[in-house]
Amino acid sequence: MDDQGCPRCKTTKYRNPSLKLMVNVCGHTLCENCVEMLFVRGSGNCVQCDTPLRKSNFRVQLFEDPAVDKEVEIRKKVLKIYNKRDFDFPGLREYNDFLEQVEDIVFNLTNNIDAENTKLRMEQYQKENKDLIQRNKVKLSREHEDLEELLLQEQQGNEQRRLDLLQEEQRQLQAKRKNKQALLDELEKSQLPATILLAQHKVRAAKLETQIEQQKLAVKPTNLFSTGIHMRQTVSLQPVPKIEEVLYKYKALHVETYGPLVPELEQLGRLGYLNHVRAAMPQDTAGGYTSALACHRAVQDAFSGMFVFKR
Amino acid sequence: MFHNSSQGKYWIWKNEDEIEQKRCKANLKFRNKILESGKPGLSESSFMERHEEDVLFRHYERRMMDFCNAFKPAMPKSVVGTAIMYFRRFFLFNSIMEYHPRIIMLTCAYLSCKVDEFNVSSTQFVGNLLQETPAGQERVLEQILEFELLLIQQLKFHLVVHNPYRPMEGLLIDLKTRYPALENPESLRKSADDFLTQATITDAGLLFPPSQIALTAILTSASRAGLSMESYLNECLGMKEDKETLAKMYESMRRMKTILKKYELPKPEEVNTCKKKLERIHAEFATSSNKRKRGYEEDGHVTKEPRLTEEIMSDEDMS
Repeated sequence: MDDQGCPRCKTTKYRNPSLKLMVNVCGHTLCENCVEMLFVRGSGNCVQCDTPLRKSNFRVQLFEDPAVDKEVEIRKKVLKIYNKRDFDFPGLREYNDFLEQVEDIVFNLTNNIDAENTKLRMEQYQKENKDLIQRNKVKLSREHEDLEELLLQEQQGNEQRRLDLLQEEQRQLQAKRKNKQALLDELEKSQLPATILLAQHKVRAAKLETQIEQQKLAVKPTNLFSTGIHMRQTVSLQPVPKIEEVLYKYKALHVETYGPLVPELEQLGRLGYLNHVRAAMPQDTAGGYTSALACHRAVQDAFSGMFVFKR
Repeated sequence: MFHNSSQGKYWIWKNEDEIEQKRCKANLKFRNKILESGKPGLSESSFMERHEEDVLFRHYERRMMDFCNAFKPAMPKSVVGTAIMYFRRFFLFNSIMEYHPRIIMLTCAYLSCKVDEFNVSSTQFVGNLLQETPAGQERVLEQILEFELLLIQQLKFHLVVHNPYRPMEGLLIDLKTRYPALENPESLRKSADDFLTQATITDAGLLFPPSQIALTAILTSASRAGLSMESYLNECLGMKEDKETLAKMYESMRRMKTILKKYELPKPEEVNTCKKKLERIHAEFATSSNKRKRGYEEDGHVTKEPRLTEEIMSDEDMS
């Protein structure tokens, strides 16, 4: 975010990273301070494009590119009017045409192409489909409400659980404290020797611990998965299509070296090759080097291509 | 490994005639190129013949060997072997009339250091050219860098070269382990080494796999010491049942020994006459300005003034 400076005061953005940028309807940014400055003097024109502005038109910038913010605003407004849903259309083709229309309008308004005509079109559409728009608005708001209710419920559930946990912890702490206090009291009053009392106390503390453990492990029985599916509900799935193919048969890699056989790396020591190679120093073995590697390489090179005769 | 390397697939030929053919073709290609470009003032005799090219090639190869042996820090044998192989491969498809062997030989050595992971900085590398001033060394370095890409391209980007040094070590280890009849294989090492050094400056590397060259080296030095290693070949290398392979092996070894015997260092007078001819050709055809632009054209490196007026590097400048 620091690479964008406020176009008016230029420096303040870098010096003050907590400063927010505001965007207006013409798509240009201004930092908070500059917005204040601009409207203190009473003049309401954008610095870069000189369009008349109102203070209320400034919104906090959410995206890095102010043009995106501008488009998002325009889109919201357009979609308030063009709010038909997919089941309002007889077929997919008509729905797609409608969507394309919407995109055209948004694009035109964002880039100031043919703005007059576009606005006229919007007004016309609005007039024609007034009641449809109204109905759809209502439907949309109802859906939103449902969603919000669900969210609220979830939040409440979380809160409840948190509180329960806290209470539980408190109870456990109290129980432990009571136990300690009981021990002290007994030590004071009772006639039994201290060792026996301590042993009793230990037994009691152990029992308390196990109790707490058990409570932690005891899971509240639910009948709902987190995705909302009830337990023991049979969900019908389509059978997975079976693909029959030829079974893979492993064939070991065979490299033609055109020469005598080279013994395996691991056999070199046993066969006595390593006696004739310089031994590996401790520094070399630290890196994973063994003298067998160099020996194997030399012998491989010696035998590779020995029986190649190009005549 | 050699058996699935590009060397085994693309850079081993059947016999010396095939190799000679390729060199003649390169020679002819250059002649035709110059004749077609229609430059005046040349006759057939101003071109170099194959045997003259050969003389100079061997001379510069020997010079490269000396340069590498005098190199500081000490250059490992495999680097030297790779450099000479690059030199040999390059002039299999290109004529020395077109690219002067002086530059190509330094470029080969430079590239070989890089490929074989023998780390020398470029300044250190040209620092080994003791006859040059530091400014001269800079110029040489620039030339090397210009020709590097061309060299890689002419090597068909096959940069890994399998030298016979490690196979020889492997064979010695195998001898010590599985062939107790031979008491002291280490005694064979010295003359086998000499054999291998001799083999690198012949065409043996282009005809035989490095393991065969190493085997021939060991067997030759053994026979020179009067030891017989027949049973090694039969028992340990498993050629007892396979008489055909054994026969072919002996034949290859015989051919290799002949090739090595045929090598001779060119005489100084011959070298000098051929050199003069080469210098004349290079000066005449002024292809040096074209050479400069090759390689780094994409970088816009073309903006170098043609340095025709300067001598690239005189021969005495090197060792």
